[in-house]
Amino acid sequence: MTEKKLVFALAGNANVGKSVIFNYLTGLHQHIGNWPGKTVERAEGTLHFKGYTIDIIDLPGIYSLSTYSIEESVSRKYIVVERPDVVINVVDASVLERNLFFTLQLMELETPMIIALNQIDLAKKKGIEVDIEKLEICLGIPVVPTVAIKAVGIFELLEKAVEVAEKRSAVKYVEVRYGKEVEERVAKVEKMIKRVQFSYPPRYTAIKLLEGDEEIAKEVSQIDPQIVSAAKGLESEIANLHGHSCSTVITSERYEVAGCIAKEAQKLVSPIKSTIEERLHNLTTHKIMGYPIMAFSLFLMFYSIFAFGNYTSELLSDFLYGWEPIFATLFGTGLVGKLIWSGILEGVIAGVTIALPYIMPFYIILYFLEDLGYLSRVAFLMDNFMHKIGLHGKAFIPVMLGYGCNVPACLGCKIMETERERFLAAFVTTLVPCAARTVIILGLVGKFMGVKWALMFYVLDLLIIFVLGRLTFKILPGEPTALIMEMADYKVPHLKTILKQTWFRLAEFIKMALPLIIVGSFTIKLAEVLGLLEPVATLLSPVTVTWLGLPAITGITLIFGIIRKELTLIMLATLFGTTNFALVLTPIQMIVFTLVTMFYIPCIATIAALVKEFGWEKALSITVFEIVFAIGLGGVALRLLQLVI
Amino acid sequence: MYKLGARKPEVPLTALSNGESGIIASIKHGHDMGGGRSHGFEKRLMDMGLTPGTRITVVKSAPFHGPLEILVRGSRLALGRGMAERIFVETERQ
Repeated sequence: MTEKKLVFALAGNANVGKSVIFNYLTGLHQHIGNWPGKTVERAEGTLHFKGYTIDIIDLPGIYSLSTYSIEESVSRKYIVVERPDVVINVVDASVLERNLFFTLQLMELETPMIIALNQIDLAKKKGIEVDIEKLEICLGIPVVPTVAIKAVGIFELLEKAVEVAEKRSAVKYVEVRYGKEVEERVAKVEKMIKRVQFSYPPRYTAIKLLEGDEEIAKEVSQIDPQIVSAAKGLESEIANLHGHSCSTVITSERYEVAGCIAKEAQKLVSPIKSTIEERLHNLTTHKIMGYPIMAFSLFLMFYSIFAFGNYTSELLSDFLYGWEPIFATLFGTGLVGKLIWSGILEGVIAGVTIALPYIMPFYIILYFLEDLGYLSRVAFLMDNFMHKIGLHGKAFIPVMLGYGCNVPACLGCKIMETERERFLAAFVTTLVPCAARTVIILGLVGKFMGVKWALMFYVLDLLIIFVLGRLTFKILPGEPTALIMEMADYKVPHLKTILKQTWFRLAEFIKMALPLIIVGSFTIKLAEVLGLLEPVATLLSPVTVTWLGLPAITGITLIFGIIRKELTLIMLATLFGTTNFALVLTPIQMIVFTLVTMFYIPCIATIAALVKEFGWEKALSITVFEIVFAIGLGGVALRLLQLVI
Repeated sequence: MYKLGARKPEVPLTALSNGESGIIASIKHGHDMGGGRSHGFEKRLMDMGLTPGTRITVVKSAPFHGPLEILVRGSRLALGRGMAERIFVETERQ
């Protein structure tokens, strides 16, 4: 009461316009991070309203509050443990029934809440009109109609939320009632739970125990294992009565309630013709037309990212390198000057010239396509192909992007649903030859041995992706992937939201990656200045010379390649003093060298992206694996080639 | 087809032709890989609204044996083929 601080949480299904509302509410005061120890994004922002400082938490878009995905359990825990003052449930008016299914679960958490009934304009187009008052009566929760992309109703929403927060007990929602068989048993379990202390509401806990929720069962059994075993008995009673599992029965009945409320509150009028969105959907998922459209869209995406990226990257690095002479006059070209310039500032330049030019357009286009609804259509078309490497359709986007730059591709793996899929997709992505590796393939093998050989590298790469993808799929623990995904109606993306989402994620990446890039390049420069590179090359010679059959100095170039892959080729030219590699390398050496650079380590910016998304342990395991794999592959290739050629 | 009393024939969802509807009768358990985790995906289906007794319409399927596009409770979903093969529906054929 003394502190005028409030916390609101936004919760709701995916594709309901939650992030648009979030961006309207919080403006430029956002912080994007991860939930502690999870790869789930946590978006937080603040605003000032009527003398309150209000924290807004944007919970991930989910369909239920079970523990199917990490997003769901994160959201559930957050609401119960951190108790936001108000939960704002964003509901899509055009898919009322399924959205209310989620609302009912929020109500069972007994949290103060209001509903933002969003996209009422789209619903009207589809011939659905919702009676706000009736919905309020059915649920016992305040309902505010909104059209988020036009900022309609946002102010009223905020006002209502503050009102609810001020008199917490005023919201008296209608209790969700199940069938008689279920209710009797819920009451029994509830009674047992009421006797002990438990953080979740007793009725909710009882329902979840009967649904066989493992997470809740685990927590309850720490307090009183007898409750869990009693619930198990009642659970099988219901299953026997109905012929379906208890969890199925409860879910069905909950859907029935949601369906009844939806029917009560919505009025079906005639839809406004076959809409353009509908036609666009049919075209983009068409069994023949869908593919050329997809190829064209992806080409356009690819082309615009890299056209923009190459141009601005060059411009930026010309500009930044333009400071070198001025810097030299200030600090001299001695040891210290060299260290600061090459070690620190060149690292910054490398970071800036990658992050801004490539990642920014990538994020913009990715969010644009996601907001529009096209990503789910691509996933629909490509699902079958991606299944061959153990992923489902959505992974096609990051893998595809990997051909440009692995960094945004790794960051883009966030669009996958489970932690396992994200990791698998990111791993596959790091195996895709990015633009820098293309420079090496074309500049070495392509130029001196012919395009045919260069093409073979791409074919081989696909083969390796296929084999390693499948292997990892088999090894990684967890549920195999299957696709179930909403294909929400196409809608006009909200540009401001997209730009803000891009900006905050970009800032987050720079904050994370820049120190790593600087430390990396500084260490390598320091080693160079101290004359440590030659000894290191000698140290590596058992691998480079004996096992891979390469000249010893390639050890040095491979170290530099960690900063940027194309440096392996540039350093090779510098160290050999020639760009005519045919004079200094045999064809076999070229092949082995290219093969090793293709796989041997993700570049430092990619490692940073992996660390950001998956933490150090997993990032290092990918890195170490790829070093070992590349060296192994190179050595085997050498011996095979010696037999053939 | 056998006729068991008034019961309508139950077929996997993949047997429906484009535009055809059916009522979900049951979901067959997948081949558990020991951990029993395929239960999770069935829960997911339920949560998305594919509960027994629900009317489901197959709009079309993606080529090359790809996923199915279905309509259920007013929303449009893409459903992997492997999963669709395990969902059994009562058809409205005679």
